[in-house]
Amino acid sequence: MPMYQVKPVSGGDMKVDLPTCMYKLPSFHSSHGSSGSPEHALQNGEVDPAVKALEARQDEIMRKLYELKAAVEGLAKTVTTPDADLDLTVSSSLSSSTTFKGTTDLDTLLGKDLGALRDIVINANPAQPPLTLLVLHSLLCQRYRVLSTVHVHSSVTSVPPQLLSCLGPRHADSYARHMFQLGFTLIWKDVPKLQMKFSVQNMCPIEGESNVARFLFKLLAPYPSDPAAATLVDSWLDTAFFQLAEGSAKERAAVLRALNSALGRNPWLSGPEFSLADVACYCCVLQTGSAASAPANVQRWIKSCDNLGHFGPAKRLLQ
Amino acid sequence: MTKEGVQGATEEEQQAQSKKALKKQQKEAEKAAKKAEKQAKLTAEQTTEEDDFAKDRYGLSAMVQSQQKLDRELVRVQDLTPEKADQLIWLRARVHTSRAKGKQCFLVLRQQQFNVQALVAVGDRASKQMVKFAANITKESIVDVEASVRKVEQKIESCSQQDVELHIERIFVISQAEPRLPLQLEDAVRPDGEGEEEGRATVNQDTKLDNRVIDLRTTTSQAIFRLQSGVCQLFRDTLTHKGFVEIQTPKIISAASEGGANVFTVSYFKTSAYLAQSPQLYKQMCICADFDKVFCVGPVFRAEDSNTHRHLTEFVGLDIEMAFNYHYHEVIDSITDTMVQIFKGLRDNFQTEIQTVNKQFPSEPFKFLEPTLRLEYTEGVAMLREAGVEMGDEDDLSTPNEKLLGRLVKEKYDTDFYVLDKYPLAVRPFYTMPDPNNAKYSNSYDMFMRGEEILSGAQRIHDAQLLTERATHHQIDLEKIKSYIDSFRFGAPPHGGGGIGLERVCMLYLGLHNVRQTSMFPRDPKRLTP
Repeated sequence: MPMYQVKPVSGGDMKVDLPTCMYKLPSFHSSHGSSGSPEHALQNGEVDPAVKALEARQDEIMRKLYELKAAVEGLAKTVTTPDADLDLTVSSSLSSSTTFKGTTDLDTLLGKDLGALRDIVINANPAQPPLTLLVLHSLLCQRYRVLSTVHVHSSVTSVPPQLLSCLGPRHADSYARHMFQLGFTLIWKDVPKLQMKFSVQNMCPIEGESNVARFLFKLLAPYPSDPAAATLVDSWLDTAFFQLAEGSAKERAAVLRALNSALGRNPWLSGPEFSLADVACYCCVLQTGSAASAPANVQRWIKSCDNLGHFGPAKRLLQ
Repeated sequence: MTKEGVQGATEEEQQAQSKKALKKQQKEAEKAAKKAEKQAKLTAEQTTEEDDFAKDRYGLSAMVQSQQKLDRELVRVQDLTPEKADQLIWLRARVHTSRAKGKQCFLVLRQQQFNVQALVAVGDRASKQMVKFAANITKESIVDVEASVRKVEQKIESCSQQDVELHIERIFVISQAEPRLPLQLEDAVRPDGEGEEEGRATVNQDTKLDNRVIDLRTTTSQAIFRLQSGVCQLFRDTLTHKGFVEIQTPKIISAASEGGANVFTVSYFKTSAYLAQSPQLYKQMCICADFDKVFCVGPVFRAEDSNTHRHLTEFVGLDIEMAFNYHYHEVIDSITDTMVQIFKGLRDNFQTEIQTVNKQFPSEPFKFLEPTLRLEYTEGVAMLREAGVEMGDEDDLSTPNEKLLGRLVKEKYDTDFYVLDKYPLAVRPFYTMPDPNNAKYSNSYDMFMRGEEILSGAQRIHDAQLLTERATHHQIDLEKIKSYIDSFRFGAPPHGGGGIGLERVCMLYLGLHNVRQTSMFPRDPKRLTP
C-alpha cells in the first residue's frame, strides 16, 4: 500500500556553489576505488600499511626511551651507592681521546652551509685582550681555512698596533671570502664583557671569555664524552677565568697550589692529554704575570706548553 | 478728542522735549569733559616727550648705504663670557624675542646658534620711551647695541651664553623685519613629538621649504649645513692627501650616458643637449688621460619622477675614479678609507653640531668599523634567506630587503656602514667588468649607510672590444656611445670608482628621514623655488 507521498520541497538537482577560496580535500571514502594500485577495500581487521609504518616508528621510539630510562637508573644507582667515590683523574684515561685529532664536522656544529662564509664575530675590549681566544684561533687556522680580520669599532678612538696584528698577517686570498670555511672577525670595541655573535637568527650572543672558548674548542675537537672528564675540564676553565684572572692575590695563590698538586699526578691538567683546560690556565697564568713565581710542577708544565708551540700569539701580545 | 486732551498732549510733548533736551545737554557735557581730559593727557604727554633725555640713544638707523666707515669693533655673541664683565661693547645681532615688563624690557639677541639676554631698564641712561621702543622692535630685526656686560649670579638656562647678560645703553635698528613672520623660529625647532604632546605648533616641511630663508636661521639648520660643509671639506682633504686631483667635468652633454630615460633636455642653440646624470664618462676619460686618481664635486641632474624621502632631481655628487694595479679591491679600500676618515672627522670635530641636530631629531649615533666591513653578495643573500626572505641568487636587492639586510648586519657586527661586494652581472650597467671566475657575477659593489644605498661602483671595462660586446648585449645604440668607446682605444689602464650624494650621506649620518632637510634649496619633481 503506498504511503504518504510528500512532494519534495526543493528540486533534487540543486546546484551548490562551492566556494573556491577554501581548501579542497579528496573524498576519503572514494579513494580506494580511484587509486592506481590494485588495492581493494580494507577488510575488517586489516590495517592500512601507512598506519603500520607509523606504529613501527612509535615502537622504535618507545624502545629507545626504555633504554634511556635503564641507563639513567643505572647511573643513579652508581651515584647513590657508597663505593661510587671514584677518583676521576684516574678514570679519565679510560674516556675517549681528548686530543685535537677528534673528528668534527663544521656542518653539524654550525648548521647547514648556505653558500656563504660562516663568520664568527667577537667583540672584545682592547683593555682586556682575550689571550685564550687568540691561541684557539691559531689552532683553528691549522685545522680549517679561516679568514681572520681585525676591526676597530667607532666607540674606540685608537688601539695599540700589536692589537691590530694579533691575528697574524692578512691571508693572500682574503679578497675572495667564499673560498674560506670559517670566518673569524675580531672587533675591538668598548664593551663591558667579551661577546660573541654567530648566527643572529638562531643563537643569542655568547658572553664571557670562558664560554666563547668552550664554543671555539668544540670546533676543534668534541668535548670528552665521559661526563666526569668533561666536568673536570669545565671546572679548570672556570677556576682559570674567575679565580686566577680576576681573583685576589690569595685566590691566585690557592689556584697555583691546586695546579701544582694536579700537575704532580698527571702531565696535563685533565689527564694524559693536552686539553682546553691547559690552554685557559696557561693564558691566565701568563696574563697575571705569576709564571716566574709558580711552584715546581707548574713551572715544568709551563715549559711543556711552550714546547707545543701553540702559545706564540699570546706571548707576542704580552710583550 | 477734547481740547484738554490736545492741550495735555502738547504739555507732555513739551515736557518730553525738555527731558530730551536735558539728556542731550548731559551728553554734550560728558563729551566736552572727555575732550578736555584728552587734551590734558596730550599736553601731558607732550611735556614728557620733551623730557625724553635718551632720544639720541635709540631709534631707527638710516639705511646703511656705506655713508661712513666706522672704526668700531663688533663683539661676537659667542665671545660674551664672564671675562668681559663690566666692559662696554658694541654688537650686532637679531632680536630673537622682546618682552616688556613695567619699567624694563628683556630682549634675547641671537647670532647664528648663540644667543644672549639683554636688558633695557628705565634709569639714568634709558627713558620710558626707549624701553617702549625696545619692546616694540619686531622679531628678527637686526640691531646694533652698545651695552655693558654684566655677570649674573643665576645661570640663564634658556640662552647659550648662560653666565652673562647685557645692560643696553644704546640700541639702533639697522634692518627692520616685517611684523608678521610666515613662521616662528621656536616652532620650526620644536621636535615633532613635543609639539603633539603639549599642543604647541610645529612647522610642516612644505612651509619650511617655502620660507627657506627664515627656516635656515634656526639652530638646527645652521648645525646641519655646517656639518655638510665639514663633509665636503673632509672629502677634499682626505683625497688630496691620498694624491687625488680635483677635476671639474661639463654638465651640458650631447648624449645621455646611462640609459636615457632620466635626463633633462636643454635647448642648445639650434639643437638640444642634456644635463649630465653623472660625471662618469668624463672621470673615465681623465683616467685614460693619465691623471691616475681623480675626484670631482659638482651638481648631478636626474629627471626621475620619484617623490620619495631620498630622491632629488638635482643634488651634489662627490665622485671618485682611480686606476689600480691588479685588483679592484684596491679601489674599494681607498674609497672605504676615505669614508672612514670622513666619519672620524665628523665624530671628533662636529659633536656640537650633531648634538644640536639630535635635540630636534633624536637618533642613534653613527657607528662604523675600521677597516670597513666587506661582505659578499652571496653572504647577504644567505643572511636574508636565514631571516625568511625568498629571493633568487641573481635577483637585485629591493629597498625593503636592503633595509632588512642593514638591520641584520647592524645586529651581528654593530656597524651602520658596510660594503656589499660581487653583485650579479645581470643587474649592473653595461660598462661593469664581469667576474673572471664566475660569469653570473661582476666586479661591482654597493655601499650602505643605515641600510640605505649611498654608493654604487664597479671596476669599469677598459677594453673597447669587450665594452662593445656588453653594450650590444644590453641593446644599447652603439652610435650614441661612440665617443665613449673611442676613449678606450688608445691604451686605457684598469680602473674603477664610485660616487656618493652629499645630501644623502649627511641625512643618513645624522639619522634624519628626509633628504630635503639636508639640501639647502631642494629640487624635486614638485618644487622649483626658492
